[in-house]
Amino acid sequence: MNAWRGFKKGAWTDGVNVRDFINLNFTPYDGDGGFLSGMTERTKSASERVKKLLIAENEKGGVLDVDTERVSSLLAYEPGYIKKGEDIILGLQTDTPLKRAVNPFAGYRNAVQACEAYGYKISPEITREFEYRTTHNTGVFRVYTDTMRKARHAGILTGLPDAYARGRIIGDYRRVALYGMDYLIKQKEADKAMVGERDHDMTEETIRLLEDIAKQLEFMQRLKQMAADYGCDISRPAENTYEAIQWLYFGYLGAIKEQNGAANSIGRISVFIDIYAERDIAEGTLTEAEAQELIDDLVLKLRLVRHLRTPEYNDLFAGDPVWVTCSLGGVSTDGRSMVTKTCFRFLQTLYNLGPSAEPNLTVLWSNSLPKGFKDFCAQVSIDTDSIQYENDDVMRDMYGDDYAIACCVSAMKVGKQMQYFGARCNLAKVLLMALNGGRDEKFGDQIAPEGKVFDEKPLDYDEVIEAYKKYASWMANLYVKTMNVIHYMHDKYAYERLMMSLHDTDVERLMAFGISGMSVLTDSLSAIKYARVTPVKDERGIITDFITEGDFPKYGNDDDRVDDIAKWVVDFFYHELCKTKAYRGARHTLSILTITSNVMYGKKTGSTPDGRKAGEPFAPGANPMHGRDSEGALASLNSVAKLDYACCRDGISNTFSVTPETLGHTDEDRVGTLTTMLDGYFAQNAHHLNVNVLNRQKLIDAMNDPTLYPSLTIRVSGYAVNFNKLTREKQEEVISRTFHEKM
Amino acid sequence: MKEGRSLRADIHSFESLAALDGEGIRYCVFFTGCPLRCACCHNPDTWFKSGREYGSDELCRKISRYKPYFKNGGGVTFSGGEPLLNAGFINETGALLKSEGINYALDTSGSVSLTNEVMTAVDNADMVLLDVKFPNAAMYKKYTNGDFDVFLRFADYISETRKRVWFRTVVIPGINDTERDIREYAQLVSRQNKPERYELLAFHTMGFYKYDKLNIKNPLTGTPPMDKEKLNRLQNYLNGLI
Repeated sequence: MNAWRGFKKGAWTDGVNVRDFINLNFTPYDGDGGFLSGMTERTKSASERVKKLLIAENEKGGVLDVDTERVSSLLAYEPGYIKKGEDIILGLQTDTPLKRAVNPFAGYRNAVQACEAYGYKISPEITREFEYRTTHNTGVFRVYTDTMRKARHAGILTGLPDAYARGRIIGDYRRVALYGMDYLIKQKEADKAMVGERDHDMTEETIRLLEDIAKQLEFMQRLKQMAADYGCDISRPAENTYEAIQWLYFGYLGAIKEQNGAANSIGRISVFIDIYAERDIAEGTLTEAEAQELIDDLVLKLRLVRHLRTPEYNDLFAGDPVWVTCSLGGVSTDGRSMVTKTCFRFLQTLYNLGPSAEPNLTVLWSNSLPKGFKDFCAQVSIDTDSIQYENDDVMRDMYGDDYAIACCVSAMKVGKQMQYFGARCNLAKVLLMALNGGRDEKFGDQIAPEGKVFDEKPLDYDEVIEAYKKYASWMANLYVKTMNVIHYMHDKYAYERLMMSLHDTDVERLMAFGISGMSVLTDSLSAIKYARVTPVKDERGIITDFITEGDFPKYGNDDDRVDDIAKWVVDFFYHELCKTKAYRGARHTLSILTITSNVMYGKKTGSTPDGRKAGEPFAPGANPMHGRDSEGALASLNSVAKLDYACCRDGISNTFSVTPETLGHTDEDRVGTLTTMLDGYFAQNAHHLNVNVLNRQKLIDAMNDPTLYPSLTIRVSGYAVNFNKLTREKQEEVISRTFHEKM
Repeated sequence: MKEGRSLRADIHSFESLAALDGEGIRYCVFFTGCPLRCACCHNPDTWFKSGREYGSDELCRKISRYKPYFKNGGGVTFSGGEPLLNAGFINETGALLKSEGINYALDTSGSVSLTNEVMTAVDNADMVLLDVKFPNAAMYKKYTNGDFDVFLRFADYISETRKRVWFRTVVIPGINDTERDIREYAQLVSRQNKPERYELLAFHTMGFYKYDKLNIKNPLTGTPPMDKEKLNRLQNYLNGLI
């Protein structure tokens, strides 16, 4: 059978070019969700089976089982099934569902500790093997300077991927389906030959690339074998919808067997799959119920993705997330809506299979999306709190129309750009360091070059800004250097062979920096400028507290006096980062995203001039601080919308919680309010919004009795979590966040 | 009296996401000052000046920031307190808003005299949300300390000018929560044009703390919040009557 029958030919038929294939062949859908199907009997049965597994996992303390005998790889395990004969989309990470694999390539000690935390012990064979192997973690710590270690220890740089894998790279898994592995291998071999010839001097950079390609080729072969073990021949292109989904899922599965990075996003697959579904439905070989069943089964598999993590890791990223981010919707560069029926089908899984944190369904919102889709999304948000929204109208300008979101808010062109993930720098601590002449306010270490310690006299804004600029500039340089070390070592010892094989050989690299404490720093500077702030020193002579007298404008009230400070903070730090060259020619990007680590960052930070006391949580992402936005939800959105995406190309995360009653009396009113709100927010070039429509009381009830709402899903900074998987401390923090409610 | 655009008004607060007080998304401006002293008032803090004064052009600039959200009929709702105590200011601000293409609604008790300024403010409003506090003069006096006739004249003006209107009544346990009470409300409004909506709102106790804070005696201390299901039944009953 001709795999490409009925498809419009173009540049994609002469070389790897999935974007061209999509643009020539997708069918926009302008209607509503009326066509959608519920679950088939088989899906019901499979879904029940998965629910039971999830309950068992939860009852065992979060980890159902660990395979301590083998090191994770594509061919390490026999084929696994939820139930053989019932699974449609085949493939599990290990030989049984929810059994976690050991993957020590990024950090051996981490793997050992993760096993021990759940009562397991790594086998002597693996231990012996890794005695003679350098991991990414070992490499990094061989090279870290004293200053890097100090900054890391103090928590100014935190969450760095130096002991765990970096993640955030999205393989173009669609290539497996569209071209088949044999073609892709042939293309890579040709690339390798070309790279070997084109460099007159055979520089280190070229040698490294050649070795990378050789590693990629090896794993492309293994992927074929992995699929063959499941009885599938992916050497050839997929011939129908089922195969297209299965083939691309194999690509994804191979990638997450090899890698255990933080975020394991799957890309922009719905519009791609839809092209096959439209063709098969037209040919009479697929019904709507069957199409939905395929998506349901894929999503069930994606809900089972797991990595083995240490408890410390969970402090940073609560709720055991894997960020199987799946991007839906958007608009093509020639202005056509890329909403297809399959975008609806993915959202429909939240009704068929119930609300869930994963996959991380991400709607690429544009003001020009069809009303039927906008209304459906809003309804799904109101019913499930399981989706996030990102502004396609700003991202399309920079990333075109075949980008996808990795993790929470990181856009990249699929198969053409990859990212060096860089966690974040705590800017609130940088301010405290500047006031303390380079010393850390908690540990007292001299981290940065020694400077003037401010007196216990009311602070002068201009003097503070001068000091802050000096230290932020120093910090930015240290941050880039630290990242360069990390990613050099990650490329060397834990290179993503399969994921990178599904990228163009001459890939564009982004180095994604991040900041936390943006709103704390902003309000602190505003307090220094508009109120009277007097530092208080402790017995070590270190400023550990502040007396703040008088009122000051606070970020989150659409007040330019302070919002301009926020803009400056972001703009300044980004441009300082750009002054230091990034590893492998990467381009600097920046995010304002904390995931759930805002609680941990707060713990590590002393009292700040805005009135926040030592240890108290930061606001998540780019959110205003809790309870400081006094003019309601839209004022808060307007403040965040002012931050410039051009300096935050890795995303600006904002989480929004509202009670259903605030949005309207009826479902129809609520959908209308929510879509109008999203349109209004994004029309101002805002980037991202997590939407939760729920009652504070419901969360309090769920905290006190987790059995009441077993699948209660809420959106936190850039992803969704099952509320019951959060620690009590994080649950309380979520509950204390500003809820926009109408009395 | 007017010298260019120079009027100022004392404003209690703003709510930038109000979806229940008129059509679409509303930006609510809460004025201070009120001629009534309703027993069930949940915003007694709006009775007194806040000291935060805004000029009409300053307020208009602030509101204009929310234009992107005013699709589907959205706009500003002037509330309070009693917004029509500032009718002149509203007229001035309303004219500025109009040039920005922003409509306004009035959320009023209707307990104000029909001066020219008040009539202009009503005439230029996109719609009126009219609080029908109590259905007869005795209750009106007892629970709001207001003059029922003043309210009736205002309601008649709304009706005569065929203004778009939603009626709203707060239902308080033990005071106006029987079918008999609802019948009396229905009878009262039957002399008016049929409103687009007539909403019964549940009395709640979430404003009680403000009385303590302001050191004002709360006349309804001990009154429970209105039961939502009972309110729904009364709403259905009312819908059948009008």
